[in-house]
Amino acid sequence: MSTTTRTRPATARGLDDSFRALVRAEWTKFRTVRGWVIGMLIAALVTVVIVLLDHSSCGIVTPNGAPVGCSATIGPAGEAVTDDFYFAAQPLTGNGSLTARLTALTGQPSLGSWAKGGIIMKASTRPGSAYAAIMLTGTQGVRMQYDYTGDIAAPGKTAQAGSVSAATPLWLRLVRSGDSVTGYESADGTAWTTVGTVTLAGLPGTIQAGLFATSPGTSRITSESITGTSSSGGIAYATAVLDHVSLASSQPAGPWRGVAVGRPGPGTGFRHSGGRFAVTGSGDIAPGSPNDGGTPVERTLFGAVAGLITLIVVAVMFMTAEYRRGLLRVSLAASPRRGRLLAAKALVIGSVSFAAALAGGLASVPLGEWLLRSNGNFILPASGLTQARVIVGTAAILAIAALFALALGAIMRSTAGAITTAIVTTVLPYLLATTMVLPAGAGDWLLALTPAAGFAIQQSQTAYPQVIASYTPGNGYYPLAPWAGFAVLCGYAIAAFALALVLLRRRDA
Amino acid sequence: MTALAPREASRARTASTAGATLQAEWTKARTAPGTFWLLLAGAGLTVALGLLADAATRCQAAACAIDPAKTALIGVYLGQAVIVIAGVSAIGGEYGNRMILTTLTATPRRSIVLLAKAVILAGLVAVTGVVAVGGSLLAGRLILPGHGIGPARGLPPLSLGDDAVLRAAIGTVLYLVLIALLSLGTAATTRDTATATGTVLALLYLFPIIAAVAGAQAGRHVQQVGPMTAGLAIQATIGLRDLPIGPWAGLGVLAAWAAGALIAGAASLRSRDA
Amino acid sequence: MEATIECSGLRKRFGPTVALDGMSFAVRPGQVTGFIGPNGAGKSTTMRVILGLDAAQAGTALVGGQRYASLRFPLRHVGSLLDASALQPSRTGRNHLLWLAHSQGLTSRRVDDVIERAGLSKAATRRAGGYSLGMRQRLGIAAALLGDPSVLMLDEPFNGMDPEGIVWMRGFLKSLAAQGRAVLVSSHLTSELQDTAEHLVIVGRGKVIADTSTADLLAAASGDRVIVRTSAPAEAAGVLSRAGGNAEVTGPDTLTVTGLAADRVVPLLTASAISFSEVSAQRATLEQAYLDLTRDVTDYRAQEAAR
Repeated sequence: MSTTTRTRPATARGLDDSFRALVRAEWTKFRTVRGWVIGMLIAALVTVVIVLLDHSSCGIVTPNGAPVGCSATIGPAGEAVTDDFYFAAQPLTGNGSLTARLTALTGQPSLGSWAKGGIIMKASTRPGSAYAAIMLTGTQGVRMQYDYTGDIAAPGKTAQAGSVSAATPLWLRLVRSGDSVTGYESADGTAWTTVGTVTLAGLPGTIQAGLFATSPGTSRITSESITGTSSSGGIAYATAVLDHVSLASSQPAGPWRGVAVGRPGPGTGFRHSGGRFAVTGSGDIAPGSPNDGGTPVERTLFGAVAGLITLIVVAVMFMTAEYRRGLLRVSLAASPRRGRLLAAKALVIGSVSFAAALAGGLASVPLGEWLLRSNGNFILPASGLTQARVIVGTAAILAIAALFALALGAIMRSTAGAITTAIVTTVLPYLLATTMVLPAGAGDWLLALTPAAGFAIQQSQTAYPQVIASYTPGNGYYPLAPWAGFAVLCGYAIAAFALALVLLRRRDA
Repeated sequence: MTALAPREASRARTASTAGATLQAEWTKARTAPGTFWLLLAGAGLTVALGLLADAATRCQAAACAIDPAKTALIGVYLGQAVIVIAGVSAIGGEYGNRMILTTLTATPRRSIVLLAKAVILAGLVAVTGVVAVGGSLLAGRLILPGHGIGPARGLPPLSLGDDAVLRAAIGTVLYLVLIALLSLGTAATTRDTATATGTVLALLYLFPIIAAVAGAQAGRHVQQVGPMTAGLAIQATIGLRDLPIGPWAGLGVLAAWAAGALIAGAASLRSRDA
Repeated sequence: MEATIECSGLRKRFGPTVALDGMSFAVRPGQVTGFIGPNGAGKSTTMRVILGLDAAQAGTALVGGQRYASLRFPLRHVGSLLDASALQPSRTGRNHLLWLAHSQGLTSRRVDDVIERAGLSKAATRRAGGYSLGMRQRLGIAAALLGDPSVLMLDEPFNGMDPEGIVWMRGFLKSLAAQGRAVLVSSHLTSELQDTAEHLVIVGRGKVIADTSTADLLAAASGDRVIVRTSAPAEAAGVLSRAGGNAEVTGPDTLTVTGLAADRVVPLLTASAISFSEVSAQRATLEQAYLDLTRDVTDYRAQEAAR
C-alpha cells in the first residue's frame, strides 16, 4: 500500500505536502539568519519606542498648578460631538408636535454656509443628548438633522436663507411619536412635505422642544503657505426669527425658557414679543471635527512607519539574498517550480511581518493612550470594531507592504534599489502628505495613487460633509475610505507579485 | 632578475598612492554599468517631483507665504533616495561581492580607499545635483509665477541673482553631496547594503514624522537634529525667522552627520578584518 | 625589493576557534613553494594576514622585509590571488584589471599585456560575472601579474580549472619562479603540486608541520617499490636478493622488491630464465608522504567532528 502511495503521481494531497515542506524550508531559512530575526524584533520594538516620543499635550494649567486636560462632548452613539447652540425650550411629555414659521435667518458677521436655525426636539438640555431638528441653513437649504451625524436634505427645490422672508416664509414641523420623530416643511403651513422620519432610541418620556439657532465660526483664508493655510476666523452668530409657534401636547403649554446648551458664546439669547421669537446662537450641533482638539486612537500607531522601514529591509534581503552567491540555484534545485518558491517565501515573510507588526501595535496602543491621556489629551472614542480595524489593519498594511518589498526584491534583484523603491513608494508619500510638505491637494493625490494609500486603514474618525474642517492627512483623514486605500496597496502588491513571477520564470537563475 | 625591472613605459605619471587610488576609484565608477543611469534617475526624479509640486501649488490669497525656491526644489525629498543608493553601493556593493578584498589588497591604506571613494562620489553627486537643481529651478521659474507664486506677490524671483535663491541652489547641491557621504560612511560601518540603505532612509524620513507628533517644543528640537529636517533648511528663502534652525547651521548639522558616519566608517574599516 | 615572504609566530583566533597557532615559515625566491594542509589548517588566514586583510593577534608577516600595508604600490611587489570571484560581476574583465592598474599607477598597456599572458584575450571584454570558474582564476592570475611583482601568492589557483588549464598553470608557475620570483601556492590537493613545487610548507591546525624540499620529503617517505608477478616467486626472490635487492613475497604469485629499480629487475629475471607476467614500478607519491605526515592532524579533526 505504501509503495502505491509513493509512486502515485502528485495528487492535490501530495502537492499540499510538498508546498508545506517548501514553506517549512523557507521558514528555516528565515529563522536561521540571526540578523533577520533581530530585524523583526526591532520592527515590533521600534513601533512602541517611537510612540514614547509623543509629547503632544492638551489642556491648561489652572492658577493653583493643577493641569486640566482636554475633553469632548460625547454623543448618543459614543462618538465625540459638538453641541453648542441657543435654545428657547419647553418640556414636551409624551407624543406631540411643534410647528413654527421661520421668516428670517441672518448671520453676524456674515451668514456661514452651515449656520442653522429652526426647531428641535432634544432628549435633554445636556450637551451630547439625542435630538432631531429641522432647520434652514446658510447655503445648504432645508435639512433635517439628528443625533449629530444624521443629515437629510429636504427633497426637491427648497427654501434658501436668502429668499426666506415674512412674505415667503418657511414652515417647519416636528412630530414625535414614541421613539420616532418626523420632520416636515411647508411654504404655506397647509401643504406639508415630509423631510424624514428618524428613530431616536431610548428617547425619554419628557423631552425638550423648542426653537434654536447656531453658527460655526467663520474662517477666511488670509495667507497660503506650503505648510498649510493661515486663516483669520472668529466666532459667528446666527439669528433665526420665528412666529406662529405652536406646541401640540397632552400637557398644557408652559413658558418658553432660554437655555444655552454647551458653550454658545457670549451675546446669545432669545427675545420674545407678541408671538415673535428671535433666537441668536453660536456654535454647532454636529459631529466632532479635527478642529476640536481630540486625538484619534491611530495616533498611537504612528511608530508603525518606523517598523515598516525595518520590515522592508528584512523582506527585501530575504529575497535578494537568493541572488548572492547563487543560493537561488540551490533553492530552485530543491524546488524547481518557481511560482511555488515565491509563494512560500511570501507566506513566511508575510506571516512573520504581520505577527511582528501586530505585537508592536497591541503594545503601543495602550501605552500610547496612557501617555497621551497623562499629557491631558482627549482620545476620540471609536467603536471596538473600528479599533480592531485600526490595529489589525495597521499590521496588515505593514505585512502587505513587506510582501510588496519582497516582490520588488525579486523584480529588481538589487538590494539597495528594492529597499529604496519600497520605502520611497510607501513611507515618503505618507511623510510628504501628513507633514504637509506638499500642498494639501497634492498630498491627497499621493495618498490615493501610491501604495501609501494603505495607511487609510488607520483612519478611525469619519469626515462629514456637514462640517467644515481641516480633513487633511495630517489630521488623520485620508482621501480614500479605509478599505479602498487598503485595496490600492493590495493592488500594488499583487501587480508586483505578478511581475516578479513572470520575471522569475523567464530569467535564468 | 631583469624580468623584474620596472616597466617604466607602462607606468602612469601618478606617483602618489592617493592619486592612484583616486584614479582607480574613478575608473571603477566609470566602468560600473549602472552609475550613469542611477545618477540620471536621481536628477530626473528630483525635477519630476518638483514639476508636480509646481503644478499643484497655487496661491489665491492676497498674502502668500509659499516659498517658491522650496516648492521648486521639493523633488530633493525623492531624488535623495537615489543618491542614497549611489552612496551605499559605492562601498556596500564591494562587501556584497567581496571585491573589497581586491580593493584593500591593491590599497592597504584603508582610510585612503574611503577618502578616494568619498571624493569621487562627491564629485559625481555634485554634478548630478547641479543638473537636478538647475532643472527644478527652471521648471519653477516657468510655472510658479503663473500660479500666483512670484515677484507679483512680493516673493523672491527664482533667479540665481537673488542671494537667498542662490543660497538655496548651492545649498541643495551640497545637501545631496552630504547625503551621499552619509550613505557611504554608514555603508562602510555596517558593511551591508540593505542595513545601510534602511538606516539612512530611516534617518532621513523618520525625523520629520516624529517631529510632527512630538509636540511643538520637542518637535522643534527633533527638526534641529534630523539630517533631512535640518539640512533642508538651506532651501528656505522666506520666513527664515520661523525656521527651527538657520539655513547654514542646518546644513552644518547634516555635515556633522556625514562626518560622523565617515569617521565611524573609517574606524570600522581600519579596525576590523576585511 | 627582495623576493621573500617571512612569517613568524602568527597567532589568531576567531572566538573559540584557533585559526593560527604560531605559524612560522619563509618563502625563498626562484622556486615554487607549495603551501599544503587540510581544509581549515589556516592557509587562507595566513595569506590574508600577509596581505594585511586580517590582523594577527601576535607575530609578524613580512614581504621582502616589509609589512604589506606599508608598501606604497603593493601590487608592484606582491601579486596575489585569494578569491577569484571577489569582483563586481557587471564589470568586464578588462575594466576590472583597468581600475586595479590605475590603483597602482599603471596604464592600460600593462592591462593588455597581462590579459594576453593569462590567455584571456577573447573573454576580456565580456562581463566577468559570466566567466566560468576557470576563467575567473585566469583573471585573478592576470590581476596578480599586473604589477610585475617579485612575490606571488596564490590561494588554490587550480580550483575549477580543466586538465588543460591545470597543465598550463603548472608550467606558468614554474616559469614565473624561474624568473627569480618567490611563488607561494596553496592547495589541499598535493597531486596538483606534484611536479611543480620544489619546496613544501605543510600545515595543520594553524601551525607548520613540515618545511622541507619536495625531494627530501619523497625520500623520507617509503622508497620506490617494484611489484613482480611471477609463477615462481621464491626463485625470483632469491635472484633479486643476491643482486642486492630486498624482496619479499607478498602474495601467492606476487613479490614486492625495494632497493632495485624496475629496469634492473627485468634483465636479472630474464637472465635467470624466470618467467614473469608483470613488473611494475611504484613511485612514492607526494600524496602518500603528505598523508603520512598529516595523519595525526586529520585524525584529530575527524575525532573533533565526531564529538
